[in-house]
Amino acid sequence: MASAALRVPPADAFRSSRSALSSILAPVALLALWQLACLSGLFPPQVLVPPSEVAHTLLELARSGELERHIGESMFRLAAGFTIGALAGLAFGATIALSRLAEAALSPFFLALWQVPVIAFVPMLVIFLGIDEPFKIAIVALAAFFPVALATFDGVRGVPKTWFDVARVYRTRLPDLIWRILVPATIPSVLTGLRVALTRAWVVLIAAELLAADSGIGQMMEMGRQLFRIDVVLAGVVVSGLIGFALDWGARAIERRAMRWRMA
Amino acid sequence: MTAALSRRGARIAIGLVVPALFLSWWQWQATAGDARSLAFAPLHSIGSAFVELVESGSLFSDMVSTLSRSLTGLAIGGTLGIAIGVAMAVWRPLDRMLGPLLHAIRQVPLIGWLPLIGLWFGTGQGSELIVVSISAFFPTLLNSYAGVTNVEPRYLDVGRIYGFTPLQRFRLILLPAAMPLILTGLTQGLAFAWIASIATEILLGVGGGLGVTMQVAQTQQRLDVILVAIIATAILGFVINQLFLRLRRHLLRWQAAPL
Repeated sequence: MASAALRVPPADAFRSSRSALSSILAPVALLALWQLACLSGLFPPQVLVPPSEVAHTLLELARSGELERHIGESMFRLAAGFTIGALAGLAFGATIALSRLAEAALSPFFLALWQVPVIAFVPMLVIFLGIDEPFKIAIVALAAFFPVALATFDGVRGVPKTWFDVARVYRTRLPDLIWRILVPATIPSVLTGLRVALTRAWVVLIAAELLAADSGIGQMMEMGRQLFRIDVVLAGVVVSGLIGFALDWGARAIERRAMRWRMA
Repeated sequence: MTAALSRRGARIAIGLVVPALFLSWWQWQATAGDARSLAFAPLHSIGSAFVELVESGSLFSDMVSTLSRSLTGLAIGGTLGIAIGVAMAVWRPLDRMLGPLLHAIRQVPLIGWLPLIGLWFGTGQGSELIVVSISAFFPTLLNSYAGVTNVEPRYLDVGRIYGFTPLQRFRLILLPAAMPLILTGLTQGLAFAWIASIATEILLGVGGGLGVTMQVAQTQQRLDVILVAIIATAILGFVINQLFLRLRRHLLRWQAAPL
């Protein structure tokens, strides 16, 4: 299957980000450079505002409770859509991996849908669901579904057949087979799939919020653009970057924790 | 059952059951006559929308627009990505300077840059192309960087024994050794550029293309047109991806190791 599509470029590829000192120094230097570029008058304030002003705007947005509302809305959509999409993907991936009949029946249709960029479903979903919450949750769920389904399929198919044979010899009951063999054996690839799905879901959510929403980080940026508030747009960029980073970092931490036992 | 599944014909037939069921459900929804029919387009109207779009030539011109936007973005972003990625891998100071900046930029979802780019460059075709180029830039950058950094030290040792000049070392060792990953980067870059083209076309709706047609059709409640555009997107995306993979294999045929 198209598992190659799951392979994302190496994330911590940059040597420089490895040493502890430079990982603190680099962002500071970056901010200083940004501030200097603005103070030097190279860019008019309509084009670029200094980080101090972005921080000020962020603080103001936070104090008025607006930032909290936007982040809360976005996170709710992400959580709801991701949960639905990931659970569906897990069930679907496991089904087509375990049953040859299900694979033959479902995988052609699935692979055909897989060719469509998730974002291309946006206009169609808007016609069916309108532009309110159900649409945003559905598009996030769709974005999460495919990577999880593929990773689960790969994971379950990758379980050595001999393990099942051993289970048969020991007359392992089905719940035990699932919980003690299938789940531990597939957890690494499923977790990777979940992580990829989470980052994709976040990107798609931002896109959907840019298009149509009355709240959320994407909408905050889009409103900022329409009002020519570059400080608000930049604040949104910073927040969405931080959230994206935190999501990826958290997912990686869980992945590492869950895979510790394999090292033994 | 298992015996039947091993036959190719039987597998194809089983694979067709679900799409057929789906289509008949769709048709049933579309012809039910109540509010549902407003959203669901009957199958024959999808067919006639296809004929309409083909005859007016707009489907073809949309495909050309989206494809040329993706390839232009790939050319710009990919060239920069390879150049900067290789330069960063070869020259440490540049890595130290640019690495953190690029890493920070990468954290923001690509589409999240759109409002900012819209403010800076307007909401026209230029902004679309910028986003597409950035989306092609990062996969090529990361892969080129990794390709050059992960060159086997033995190769470099051989170069040292032969007394290669830095230029020779770069041209005869580093570049060929990094080539597989650079091409992987370009293939990923193309996939990203393709998605970014569709996304920016839907969000900005200017300059023509499959995404623009979808966006316009959505405001006109023309689901039939949207579906034709989605199918065209899927097929075209699949074809160019396959062509690129084949091209990559062709370019790397001198490599002994399986790819």
